[in-house]
Amino acid sequence: MKVLLKISWLNVWRNTRRSLVMIVAVSIGLWGGIFVSALSSGMMLQRFDLSVKQHISHIQVQNPEFLKDRHIKYGIADWDALKKALQADPVIAGFSGRTLAGGMLATANMSVGISIIGIDAANEASTTGLDDNILEGNYILDEGRNPVLIGKKLADKIKLQPGSRLVLTFQNIEGELVSASFRVAGIYQTSNGIYDESHVYVRQSDLEPYVGEGSTINQVAIVATDIEQVQALGDRLVKQFPEYSIRTWDDISPELAYLQEMAGMMLMIVLVIILFALSFGLVNTMLMSVFERTRELGMLMAVGMNRKKVFAMIMIETIFLTLMGAFGGMLLGFVSIQLFSKTGIDMAAVGGDSLNDFGFPSVVYPQLELSFFFFLMVLVIVTAVLTSIYPALKALRLKPAEAVRKE
Amino acid sequence: MKIIRTEKLSKIYNHQSLPVKALNQVNLEFETGEFTAIVGPSGSGKTTFLNMIGGLDKPTEGQIFIGDTEITSLSDSKLIDFRLHNIGFVFQSYNLLPVLTAKENVSFIMLLQKTNPKEMDARAVELLKQVGLEDKMDVRPSKLSGGQQQRVAVARALASKPRFILADEPTANLDTQSAFNLLDIMLRLNKEENITLIFSTHDQRVIDRARRVITLVDGAVDSDEQFER
Ligand SMILES: Nc1ncnc2c1ncn2[C@@H]1O[C@H](COP(=O)(O)OP(=O)(O)OP(=O)(O)O)[C@@H](O)[C@H]1O
Ligand SMILES: [Mg+2]
Repeated sequence: MKVLLKISWLNVWRNTRRSLVMIVAVSIGLWGGIFVSALSSGMMLQRFDLSVKQHISHIQVQNPEFLKDRHIKYGIADWDALKKALQADPVIAGFSGRTLAGGMLATANMSVGISIIGIDAANEASTTGLDDNILEGNYILDEGRNPVLIGKKLADKIKLQPGSRLVLTFQNIEGELVSASFRVAGIYQTSNGIYDESHVYVRQSDLEPYVGEGSTINQVAIVATDIEQVQALGDRLVKQFPEYSIRTWDDISPELAYLQEMAGMMLMIVLVIILFALSFGLVNTMLMSVFERTRELGMLMAVGMNRKKVFAMIMIETIFLTLMGAFGGMLLGFVSIQLFSKTGIDMAAVGGDSLNDFGFPSVVYPQLELSFFFFLMVLVIVTAVLTSIYPALKALRLKPAEAVRKE
Repeated sequence: MKIIRTEKLSKIYNHQSLPVKALNQVNLEFETGEFTAIVGPSGSGKTTFLNMIGGLDKPTEGQIFIGDTEITSLSDSKLIDFRLHNIGFVFQSYNLLPVLTAKENVSFIMLLQKTNPKEMDARAVELLKQVGLEDKMDVRPSKLSGGQQQRVAVARALASKPRFILADEPTANLDTQSAFNLLDIMLRLNKEENITLIFSTHDQRVIDRARRVITLVDGAVDSDEQFER
């Protein structure tokens, strides 16, 4: 009934200050929830993008034995054949064959355990963009003898800089320990500090003489032109090369997908809690409004306004209040996300450095999917309806004879 | 024509704890076209009686017939509907919705009755004219005097074409002039349109104009007199 909507709307504004306070409270509560969600969702997406780009890639191909025992001798049996196939595939944007060796890094004063990654410098650059991550010194493409790239975190920890010398010790194919002297060519930094602290890059061609017998490729990282293509590409490769272990990003790092789902869940829980808290305020506001209008509501029932309509009127008033607040909150949320999605927010000031250790970027670009807003809208409407029930029931319990008599 | 009949109507408040016998075996009948004042000292049961025959509250004992309907046996929701279509109310105060204009307040009751909008509007205007408020149609109650508000309430009570109008001390909050003004309007409606009016009052000047005066004492009918006026 149109008149009921009109009366409810006007009733909301009878106590302008009280209604405004409630609307602002709902707005700010939701705004906070939305913005925190956008920050965390932006952080997750960036972490995902960076993890995929810098570390995992879309698909990894390995000798299945290598997954069980990370020994350098378990390599890709026919690297040339695989290479040819990968070069021919149009959806592949880049790939990089790597030699992986576990070992020790020693300087004059210190030694630490690390993973050594032997790369084809050009291929690695086109696959993971490693060359873009160089902070100091140079990438290892055109360097002289035995250059090595070390992570910023490690460089800081054991005080190395470009030009420093160090010794890498690792197992060769026969399982014997070999040592070789390397010179720091550059210092890189990825989004994951722990990774940076434990991985060094050298050229495959420099490793070869120490590893022995031809080259060993332990891992091939592949990046597709589009993440949507990954599943199909993976299936194709599995058919073509059944002898290898071929894993897509979600197989390699299931926690990435899981993390994203978890984060989504947590945000919803946070929002539900915010709305739950706000609903107390709403119930209180509406109860006050119902009690103030005891005589008026009694009069309405006395002259013949039925229970359904009285109930609906109070319910609509509650819903108006909630929706106006929700609309305000969403507007604020939307505008502030738009504002910061360009510039980003530097979290370094509030502990972004330690975030970086866990693979999170320190400058966060908040973002939210539209579906989130739809879901939130549904949540708000459900809250509004649930919240309105109690005050509306209270209104129904008024006895017209007593309500009109009340002094 | 007989429109209201009560039989052994009794009402006891606080049945369990501290019983108050507000009405005691009241037998009364009302005819169409009456202009009746219910009088009596404070606490004698006037409001209680009007609430009973208005279907706002249920008696402890006895029966109430409105036309052929025995209303004490109606369910609460049926009773609301019955009130809407059969009874007009004017209370002492808080009669109107403050968010609606005078005309909207009058129309509102017809909206509840699902009257068609065109007829509704014309009737609201006509009724407000009858109570002398043609220039206050679009004014909200807060901008009206107490007397004007009561006149809107009378127009609202008439709007639903009820069988009778109940008014509980309609002039109690009004100054003398406004009270007379309201009384004149009610009298004229009664005479010219044969509207049945039953009201409670303490005001001797109001009582002097009534054609029937029922006096309640301690919840029982003490006297029931008719006057030719
Ligand atoms: N809800 C209630 N609970 C208990 N007692 C009540 C209630 N309502 C009225 N009473 C009592 O019933 C008796 C009759 O009250 P009622 O209001 O009908 O009198 P009245 O004639 O209208 O009085 P007044 O002239 O003061 O308006 C009084 O003793 C009153 O105290
Ligand atoms: Mg009374």
